Formats: sequence, C-alpha cells, structure tokens
Amino acid sequence: MLSALIWIPLLGAVLVTLLPSAWGASYPRFLSLGLIGATVIVSILLGIQFDPSLSDFQFTEQLPWIEPLGLNYQLGVDGLAFPLLVMNAVLTLIALWSSDRFTVRPRLYYTLMLLLNASVSGAFLAQNVLLFFIFYEIELIPLYLLIAIWGGPRRGYAATKFLIYTAVSGVLILIAFLGLAWLTGSTTFDYAVLKQQTLPLTVQVALLGALLVGFGIKIPLVPFHTWLPDAHVEASTPISVLLAGVLLKLGTYGLFRFGLGMFPDAWVLLSPWLASWAVVSVLYGSFTAIAQKDMKKMVAYSSIGHMGFILLAGAAASPLSMLGAVMQMVSHGLISGLLFLLVGGVYAKTGSRDIDLLRGLLNPERGLPVLGSLMVLGAMASAGIPGMVGFMAEFLVFRGSFPVFPVQTLLCMIGTGLTAVYLLLLVNKVFFGRLSESVMNLPRVRWAERLPAISLALLVVTFGIQPIWLSRWTEVSTTTLVSHFPTIAQVTAAQTAANSDRSEERMP
Amino acid sequence: MHEFLIQTSWWIPTYGLIGAVLTLPWSMGIIRRTGPRPAAYFNLLMTLLSLAHSVWVWQMTLGQPHQLLEFQWFRAVDLDLSFSLEISPVSVGAAVLITGLSLLAQLYALGYMEIDWGLARFFGLMGFFEGAMTGIVLSDSLFLSYALLEMLTLSTYLLVGFWYVQPLVVTAARDAFLTKRVGDLILLMGVVAVSTFTGSLNFSDLTQWAWAETTVLDPNVATLLGLALIAGPVGKCAQFPLHLWLDEAMEGPNPASILRNSVVVACGAYVLIKLQPVLSLSPVVLNVLLILGTMTAIGAALVAIAQIDIKRALSHSTNSYLGLVFIAVGMGQTELALILLFTHAITKALIFLSVGGVMNVTYTQDLTEMGGLASRMPFTTGAYIIGAMGVLAMPPLGGFWAMLQWIDGLWVVPLWLDIVVLLFNGLTAFSLMRVFGLVFMGEVKPKTRRAPEVGWAQAVPMVALVILTLLMPLMLYRWGLLPGWSAVNWRVAISLMLSTLVGAGLGAWIYANSGWEKPIRFPWKPVQVLLAEDFGILRIYQLSVVLVVSLLSKLAAWIDRYIVDGMVNLVGLFTLVSGEGLKYSGFGKSQLYVMTILLAMALIGVVLSFPFLSHLMSIAS
Repeated sequence: MLSALIWIPLLGAVLVTLLPSAWGASYPRFLSLGLIGATVIVSILLGIQFDPSLSDFQFTEQLPWIEPLGLNYQLGVDGLAFPLLVMNAVLTLIALWSSDRFTVRPRLYYTLMLLLNASVSGAFLAQNVLLFFIFYEIELIPLYLLIAIWGGPRRGYAATKFLIYTAVSGVLILIAFLGLAWLTGSTTFDYAVLKQQTLPLTVQVALLGALLVGFGIKIPLVPFHTWLPDAHVEASTPISVLLAGVLLKLGTYGLFRFGLGMFPDAWVLLSPWLASWAVVSVLYGSFTAIAQKDMKKMVAYSSIGHMGFILLAGAAASPLSMLGAVMQMVSHGLISGLLFLLVGGVYAKTGSRDIDLLRGLLNPERGLPVLGSLMVLGAMASAGIPGMVGFMAEFLVFRGSFPVFPVQTLLCMIGTGLTAVYLLLLVNKVFFGRLSESVMNLPRVRWAERLPAISLALLVVTFGIQPIWLSRWTEVSTTTLVSHFPTIAQVTAAQTAANSDRSEERMP
Repeated sequence: MHEFLIQTSWWIPTYGLIGAVLTLPWSMGIIRRTGPRPAAYFNLLMTLLSLAHSVWVWQMTLGQPHQLLEFQWFRAVDLDLSFSLEISPVSVGAAVLITGLSLLAQLYALGYMEIDWGLARFFGLMGFFEGAMTGIVLSDSLFLSYALLEMLTLSTYLLVGFWYVQPLVVTAARDAFLTKRVGDLILLMGVVAVSTFTGSLNFSDLTQWAWAETTVLDPNVATLLGLALIAGPVGKCAQFPLHLWLDEAMEGPNPASILRNSVVVACGAYVLIKLQPVLSLSPVVLNVLLILGTMTAIGAALVAIAQIDIKRALSHSTNSYLGLVFIAVGMGQTELALILLFTHAITKALIFLSVGGVMNVTYTQDLTEMGGLASRMPFTTGAYIIGAMGVLAMPPLGGFWAMLQWIDGLWVVPLWLDIVVLLFNGLTAFSLMRVFGLVFMGEVKPKTRRAPEVGWAQAVPMVALVILTLLMPLMLYRWGLLPGWSAVNWRVAISLMLSTLVGAGLGAWIYANSGWEKPIRFPWKPVQVLLAEDFGILRIYQLSVVLVVSLLSKLAAWIDRYIVDGMVNLVGLFTLVSGEGLKYSGFGKSQLYVMTILLAMALIGVVLSFPFLSHLMSIAS
C-alpha cells in the first residue's frame, strides 16, 4: 500500500518521459494529474484504514535490499508522517494544476514533478535511515532542475545555491547517520534498531549537532537560510508552493524523527539553546520580512519565521507542543502554499511583484478582486486569526511550550504580531488604494486558475473550524515520541530542587 | 419548546454568520442580475431571527439561575477546549441589545448606503460583526471570547477598510487592525499563561480559581498576568495607550460606526468585566485600570472638543465614556459598569443615527461646513437632543441614574473619582453642545442649504431608539436598578445636574451664539493643536513603536543581505558559478547543468559508498 505512493509517481515519471514528443503539452499534464490524483486516492484509502490510536508504525513493508550495507527497503507510517504524506500528495496535485499549460519542455517538467513527489513520499515513509537519506538526496535533483530550467532571471545562481546548501545538509546528515551506526557497531540502518542506542552523552551531542545543522539548512533556520529567499524568488509558482509546502517539512520531520527520536538525552540537554535559536529564527525572519519589497521574498522570509515556531515546539518537547508542531507543519504548508499561489497569480496578471509599484488590485472591475479577497484571508490565516488553521497550530505550540520555556515562548509570540505587520502592509499597499495607472487592463482570471487557491483556502478554514480533524491523526504518535524521555520541565524542576537542596545544606 | 430554545441558543451568533455566508454570491460577483439588495434582505432576516430567538430566551431566563451550555470542541493531550455558553438574564439581555442595534443599523444602512456598489459585502461584514459580538456576550470561555475578539478585530479592519480606495481609509484600516492586534496578542499571552496555571479557560472556573484560598500566585506573576489580560480590552475599548484607532475608524461607513461606538467597544469591556475576579488578584492591575480609565475619560473628553470632524468628535467622547467603565471595573463595581455600558450603547447609537442623517444630506463630515440644520431637519435635531440628554447626567434619563449610582452608591468612592465623573460629565456636555451648536444652530451654510429630512429607512431606527432612550428609566426601574426617591442624595443629584448645565451652558454660549464668529479660534493656539491632534499620539507612536520596528527590520534586512548572504557569496563559489559564463539563458547550454548534476551525483555516490567501504574495512580488520 505504501509503496504505491512511491512507485505510482516513479513509474509515472518514466511513462511521461516515454510519451511521444509530437503529442501536445496537455498529454503529460493530464497524465501526471491523473497519477497524482491516484496517489491522493491511495492516501485517502490509507486514511480510512489508518488507526490513529496506535503509536507504532503502520502498513509496514520490508524487503531486503543491500544487506551488507544494512540498507533495506523498509517503509512504515505513523501519525507524525501521515499528515505530511497526504499534504505532499494534495499540494503536488495543486502545483500540477496551477502549472503553466504552455510550459516549455512539458515532458521533462512533469517527469521531474512526479519524481519530486515520489522521493518526498519515500523520505516520509522510510524506516531505514539510509533509505531516508537516499530519498532525501534524490529529491534534490528534480528540484534543482525545476528551479534551474523553469525559473526566473537569476535562476542559475539560485539553483546552484540551493544545490550546494542542500548537498552540505545531506553530507552532515549522512555523517551523523554513519557515525551513529559506526559507534554503536550496528550492522543495520534500521531506524527501530538505531533508536535503541546508548552512546555517551558527548557523542550524542556531537551527532545531534550534525543533524541540527543538516536539517537546520533544510528547515531553514537562521543563519543557514539564505538559499530559501533566492530559491523562492527564482522558482516558478508551483515549485514555490511545493518548496514551502512540502520540502521544508522534510527538515522538521527529519529533525523530530531522527534528532529528537534517536538522541533524546542530548536533545534535552540542548533544548534551552534550541528554544533560543527558535526565537532568533522567528524574530529575524519576521523583521527581515517587513523590509522586503518583493512579495515573494516577503512570503519566503515569513516561512523562516513560521518554521521557527516548530523548532520552539520541538525544543519544549511536551506532548502538546509536539502535536502543535505537526499541526504547524501542515498549517504552514497550506497557508504558505496559498500565499505563493496568490502572489504567483498577481505576478502572472500584472507582471510585477513589487509592493511599491502595485496598488488597488481589489478593484472589482479591472483588478483582481477574488485573488485580493483570498489574499486577505491568507494574510489573516498566516497572522494567526482564529477560525483558520494557523491560529490553532500556533496556540498549541505556545500553550505546549509555555510551561517549559516561558520567556522564549513569549518572544516567539511577538513573531505572530510581526506577521500581521508585514502581511497587512502587503495587503494594504497592493490591494487597497486606487488602481495604479501602470497596471491597467489586466487579463481576466478564469475560475480554473482560482481553483487551487480556493481549495487551499477552504482547507485552511475547515481545519481552523475543526482542528480536531487534523490533530486526531497525530496525537498518539507525538505523545509516544516524547513519552520515553523526562519532560524538560521536570528536568529543570529537578535541577532547581537539587540546587536548593545544596544551598540548604550549605546554610548550617 | 422552551428547553429547546435555550439548548439551541448557540444559534444566536450563528444566524449572523449564516447571513454573512449567504451574501457571498453577490459580493463575489457571481450573481449580478439582481443587484446587491437580496443579500441585504437575507441579512436583515437573519438578524431578525437572531433577535427573536434571543428575546424569547431572555424572557425565559428572567428570574432563573444561570445556565451553562457546554460544547466539546477540541481535546488533545491535557488540553480541553470546550466552548461554554452562559445563559443568564445579563448575557442574553446583552445579546438582545446587540442584535436589536444590529437590526436597526442594518435597516439604517439600507437607506444610508442605497447607492453603494459594495452593499452585499457590507451586509456580509455586518452579519459577521454581529455574530462575533453576540458570541462574546454569550461566551463563558476565555478562549472563545479571545477568538471572537480577534474576529471583531478582523471585521473592524474590513469594515473600516470598506471604501478601500481612499488613502485615509487605508491607513485607518491598518491602524485599527494593528493597534487592536497588539492588544489581542498581549491578551493571547495572558490566555496561554492562565491556561497553564489553571488548566481551564472557562470564566466560571477562572473565578473559582481566583477566589480559592489555595491559589497562591507570585505577586509579580499576578500583576503581569493581569496586565496581559487587560491589554485586549484596552485595545478594543480604545483606551489609552491603544486608543488611536477609534477616531481613525470613523472613515468607515456610518452604519458600522453606529455599532462600533455602541456595542463593539462594549464587548471589550464585557470581557473585562468577566475577567474582573482574576484581575483582582493584583492590586497593581486594578490601579492601572483606574489610571488608564481616568486618563482616557478626561483626556479624550478634552480631545473631543477640538475635533472638526463630526464623527471623530463623537468617537472621542465614546473613548472617554468607556474610561468611566474601566474605572468602575477597577473599583470592582461590575454591575455599575454594565449599567454604564447599557445606557451608553443605546444613547450613543441614537446620536450616531442622527449625525449620520446629517452627513448623508450634507455630504460632509466637517463641522465648520455645517449649520442651521434645526429648521431643515427638525426630527433629526430632536433625536440628537434626546440622545445627548440620555448620555449626560440629565434627569430623568438613563445616564443620570448611572452616574448617580457612581457617586451615591453603596460603596465608598474616593473624592477624586467624584471629581472625575463631574469633570467628565461637564466636558462631555460641553462637547455635545458644541456639536449641536455647530450643526443644528447658527447660520445656514452652502452645504446645508438643501437638506431634506431623512427617509423612512433611517427614520424608523431613530424613532425606535428615541423611544428606548425615553423608556430607559422605566426599564432600569423594572429591573430594580434605581434607588427609591427617598434614597436619592439630592446634593449629589444637584451637583451632577449642575455639571451638565454648566458644561452645556458654556457650550451654548460659545457655539449656539450667533455673536461669535465661526469656526471658533481659541486664544491658546498650541493647546488647540495639541488637543486636535489627540496629544500628538500619532507622532508618539511614529517615534517609538513604529520607528523601532522599522529600524529593526531594516537592520535585519541589511544584515541578511550583506553579512549572512555576503559571507556565503564571499566563499566565491556562488559568484563564480553564477557568473556570466554560466547563465542558463536557454536550453542550449544544458550540458552545464548536466555537468553540475553529474558532480552532485558523484558526490552522492562517494557518500553512499562510504559505509560500504567502512564495512569492508571493518571486515578486514
């Protein structure tokens, strides 16, 4: 069942390549839409059979592959991966739908999109750390090409930057995985086996450090983030949607699954630093976003801020904050996907993304009123207005982290306030006011073009009104993930108790 | 049947939301043939249903004990967010007031905005507005109230920004959203903290927690918590220092201003009243409430006198009145706060209805361009007089009784608070008289020459509120909120009346006097400018918060561009690769990226074979 999620798009990619080039661009498009539609259906079937009350991996599959390497084809899914898996399928469908109908080299484009989908699914499903790594690296190639060929004017620079950053990230992750296997003397890279490691704390910290930087590049965390704004600005709209919606989640997913999951003791030790790192990331991303003049760059920096919340929740590692972290991953995926679609829509119709240039696009007859209304909704969702999914995710993150790291949590909350500032500036400048003379006679937006944004907006509102539909998949898994190590609150409490004991001893 | 109506009282806020959703086909331009009117009728119908439902439930709750309705909404790990609704005479009565005023405001909008193309959108937003407000008064959960306050922030933003083409509207909408959002965000911090401390967010549980002997909270924590919790209401009720938005918000359509100045601000105060037990954990917080309330009550009353925009003058007097409510809550007099809110909501709505009629026929909001309307719009003039008398301490109308209770209540009031209320009353009387004199008295100006009386859609709401204002003493009497005649302290009553008369008399002497040349120039120009600019609050904001945020953002962007990214580029790799020779300008140079990929693949290959090598090595050794 799980293999279908990898192999349908993978074989589909081969199929699309084999389509005769004499056939029009619509054949690869509809073929890949159909294939990804099939994976969406498979995900729904999975959802029907998935038992959220189990904490173990479900639908596990195991095939021996390269035994001497300890590399086996092991798949499985739990509540941490399942929402991300479904989001990958849905967002790829949306990205394909919103792809340019008359794109150059359609067969290569759709092949790469399918390849990207397959490798991301594989990474979310892999139960073997080496298998995870392979998928994690494979995903890089289609994405690199998608930016480098179909991107904007500085696509070469952006794509190469992305490639090198992510390659470094991959190397660091691999070092950590290999080091772990080596030091524990394990002959297998099975996640379940490696998880049982009992290495000395200093070694754990070193390995976790490599993972932190490796995944920190992918998430991205300040200061490893500069590839992201460039990549977003140069990538075409559907690629931006996937990049923000799914690929960044690989970083946080990996950090939780392998960092927090395999090195709990080191994680607890580092967690105060991680929480402070999250604060830096959130505030830095938000403040930088305020100063941006390019809408796409602004949304990209807002991603950096919003991904920082996930690190905060992970650092706190309480059952509630972890649930909030997963919800924040989904919520950020949906909301930033929506924002990138809208910014892309504006760019496609006006030819500009400059906040200072655009004005009055809400104009009902000559502007883009529906895109504008959706933008207001997206901005509010991103700013954490209740009734939309972003609020509930952030509330859970804050509520879960506050008992552990009160100061850091409060500082991160300022980040949500700043989100309101820059997105409101964007809406006010671009959509309010009088339509500027330089942007006149815009082409009509067809309903088919609005469909992706509208469906994402509906998801954002639905999960905002009924967050339980989102949290039910994850709750048990995230609780188990952090259940086997002492909560950080307890640790700090124990430390202060020990300190006070000592001081009492000294008293007499 | 009765039980059914009470059990379904969660429908009261829902009607408005349904109405809002029903307007979508018109506001999105899917249905164009019919014009936007059907959307308006849907909303009126929904509000009528909501009013009928709430009146019915209210009838049943009179004299009954409180009833709580619980709805499970979200539960995860140790967090239980259930929505709890309080069905009591006060909460449902407030819902009746809101839906009633909303109905009147919508009927009024039908006339006022007859020719506006965005009518459907406007009604949708009004439905949303009404739903959020009725939700707040019925809610017994701090979480739900917080969420709905944010909804109010959002709908205020959209209603203020309704005429989004005008530049002043754009900044007004922005400021309204951001200042309220600051308050809301600090409130959210308080909500997160209080939820951690108590484990529950229902007001009844919070009250029990606050009153319990076992609750021991560090005084500093209690103070911080209390300050965080009052920040939301401070923003909503436009109290100092988050009061900037309300007068700017007057750029929005008047029917929305009616609600904003009467019940929206009251919603913030209502949440504050609900939070009073938690706030009373810290005496510092109560003192802060007193100080903020006093500053706003007197400061805004002074500022109102210097405004030349008719709506802004009145909105500042709203701020100032809400300052009294804050003082009352700070003194622990929640019942008095409710009476103040009730009398203010109805009378201020009436004043705005009347003023709206004036603006509609003169096409201006500038007080200096008006005059002599009393003869042309006698009915509107009468409505204004009755509304103004209702707000002020003018027996036998509502405002008098509310303020009488203030001074002559069963509680001991420090003398300075008596002086505050007398001063407030005098200043408000002066400023209302000033507006009256400039608009309705004096000479006819060019813009007021052809001013017909308002049409039926605007007249009906005015009549309804005139009747309500006149009946208010009777209502207060029926609810047992009036002291007996024998209990009235005549000295206090007379001093209140005197303050009204002195204020109004002075106002009449200056502004209703044809001997003075208008606009009036005060001898102290700087003072006038200071008050007209609201003590320069905009400048203060620009020099503090706005400056800090913009500097920090510029700094961060600079660091990002030149230090973080600069370092990356300095490594040279990227500048080299991205140089002229490697421009991926077409498909012809595909070998370049193929090469890059090959390099990457080789890298991956090396990396992948690494464990194999190590494995071999381990075998060898």
